[in-house]
Amino acid sequence: MTGAVYDRGYRPYEGSRGGRASARMALWRATVRRALGLRRPWRQKVAPFVLLAIVTVPAIVNVGVKYLTRNTPASELEFITYRDYVGVSNALLVFVALTAPDIICPDRRQRVLPLIFARPLRGVDYVLAKVGAMAGILFAFSFLPQVVLFVGQMLVSEDGALTYLRDNAEVLWQVPAAVALLAVFYAVIGVAISSLTSRRIIAGATIVGLFLVSSIVSAVLVGPQAEDVDSGRFEGSATATSVALPPDVGADRETTDTYYLVRTEPTAAPLVNVAGLPLILRDVVFLGEVDPSSPMSGLANGGAYAAGVYALIVGGGLLVLLRRYHEVER
Amino acid sequence: MTAAEPLLRTEGLTKRYPDVTAVDSLDVEVPRGRVGLVGANGAGKTTLFRMMLGLSLPTAGRLEVCGIDVGHDPIGVRARVGFMPEHDCLPLDQTAADVVATFGEMSGLPPRAARQRASDVLDLVGLDEARFRPIAGFSTGMRQRAKLAQALVADPEVVLLDEPTAGLDPMGREEMLALVARLGTFGISVLLATHLLDDVQQVCDHVVMLDAGQLVVAGPTGSLLERTGSLILDVGADRAGLVAALTARALRAVEAGGVVEVELTDDSGLDVVRDVVAELGLPLHRMSTRLTSLDDVFLTRSGHGGAG
Repeated sequence: MTGAVYDRGYRPYEGSRGGRASARMALWRATVRRALGLRRPWRQKVAPFVLLAIVTVPAIVNVGVKYLTRNTPASELEFITYRDYVGVSNALLVFVALTAPDIICPDRRQRVLPLIFARPLRGVDYVLAKVGAMAGILFAFSFLPQVVLFVGQMLVSEDGALTYLRDNAEVLWQVPAAVALLAVFYAVIGVAISSLTSRRIIAGATIVGLFLVSSIVSAVLVGPQAEDVDSGRFEGSATATSVALPPDVGADRETTDTYYLVRTEPTAAPLVNVAGLPLILRDVVFLGEVDPSSPMSGLANGGAYAAGVYALIVGGGLLVLLRRYHEVER
Repeated sequence: MTAAEPLLRTEGLTKRYPDVTAVDSLDVEVPRGRVGLVGANGAGKTTLFRMMLGLSLPTAGRLEVCGIDVGHDPIGVRARVGFMPEHDCLPLDQTAADVVATFGEMSGLPPRAARQRASDVLDLVGLDEARFRPIAGFSTGMRQRAKLAQALVADPEVVLLDEPTAGLDPMGREEMLALVARLGTFGISVLLATHLLDDVQQVCDHVVMLDAGQLVVAGPTGSLLERTGSLILDVGADRAGLVAALTARALRAVEAGGVVEVELTDDSGLDVVRDVVAELGLPLHRMSTRLTSLDDVFLTRSGHGGAG
């Protein structure tokens, strides 16, 4: 590399200049590009596009099966509902654990933050741009497959596309609302945890660890569930738990002693499962209540509790970020 | 409209940390142009830069950059100022073109204009051929150039350069200084922080010297060099006597390295020296003027002179 400096003159910039909003947008765009691996080596493109493939396959399969079974009784089967399809894949969580540290930690490790904060923006702009980029990608990756599913089902519908659209109009707001709740939640958690360290590997492991440990703790707190008991292996323990059979369940069973529904009091334990929390709210969005098959079902104000914990976690995460990226030193 | 305002104006500017006062009641007005900010490591240069960018709040006092009160409008200042930090600060896995363009956008340029300007300034700093390579593969000299490019991309009114020649070999240093010298002709003011007085002497038309957070001296480089000078006297044995006699006649004289060094402010001092040497009857083996440099100015004015 020669170091020769050639005099090519200098042209001052006379055009328009944006302020904070355009600085924030620029950082958002750069972060989205980075997360998707655009303008980076192909290795960086693998994770996002494999994820996109993984989450889109169920929609394509579902639409394909509907198409092949059209005009047969099998076409009435629902393989996947719009509700199930929100947050269908744990690949989304893996993607958060891979990507959130990658858009945050290098800024600290490579000491880019002083350069960023020498631009016309503030700490809150940095936080909004980074969380916004992560949430935007999660939203897109959860929403696009839903669009494929909806448009596909609409087109192969036996009753005609317009009838299908009319019959399923409510998912047009339910899906984006539920997906947005999920995207913002995972994005804030991922970015907030990543902001605490400059090492990507530590941040990623912490995110995965939080999701895993909280889901295990939640499962332990909830205890054995109805599905386990259906197989009849829990007769012994069922005597120790209070058995509450709803009047309509079991009425048509021939023998009650082989079909226990072991259901203690409804429990708030599922709220402990961080990764699952947005799915509880998803159910509230779609069903207007907590999923009846959930251990939380029947808990008074269960939906409100879920919303409260959600707000607490998102608010706490944002607070951590704003403190962490307060650019002015006092 | 603000072009006539000074680059920097401070009033009683103070920054105190729990265990150190980084900037101590600084009152200074720095004109536009190429200005050297000189001081040893820890003199308060970087802290002053951080306060100029609104990234560090003063403990007391106030400061204006380009006529804008930093306390009231830090965003307005940052929109007009380019900053080149001392340490490595570029994302390593991106190309220079991408990094510089992104920073251009973040300074408010529209994306197309940012890419065009990134290309232009990388050309200007001599990275035209390397601009599509990842920065991780850059040498120190290339990284310094890329850092300068990101500071210039949005066509700032002022650039703050923190030790831009650090880590460069002699040729790279000359080239960096040549670039800095040219910025003035582009209408960009430069505040060059360095501990290398040579750098300042070479490219700056104004100097601000700091020591332990306090102002040592500020003024045009030329006048600082003219106002001071020193005379080297070799008189053999009785050097202490000569120093005492000169001091008695209100001259600053020190004994250093087998000779006596006398600080002169004007030519009348020469007559005094001649008279004193004659009165003491000392042999005058050698009398010469020392080439004055900013180092001398710094050492004498900051009170570090006796140590040498």
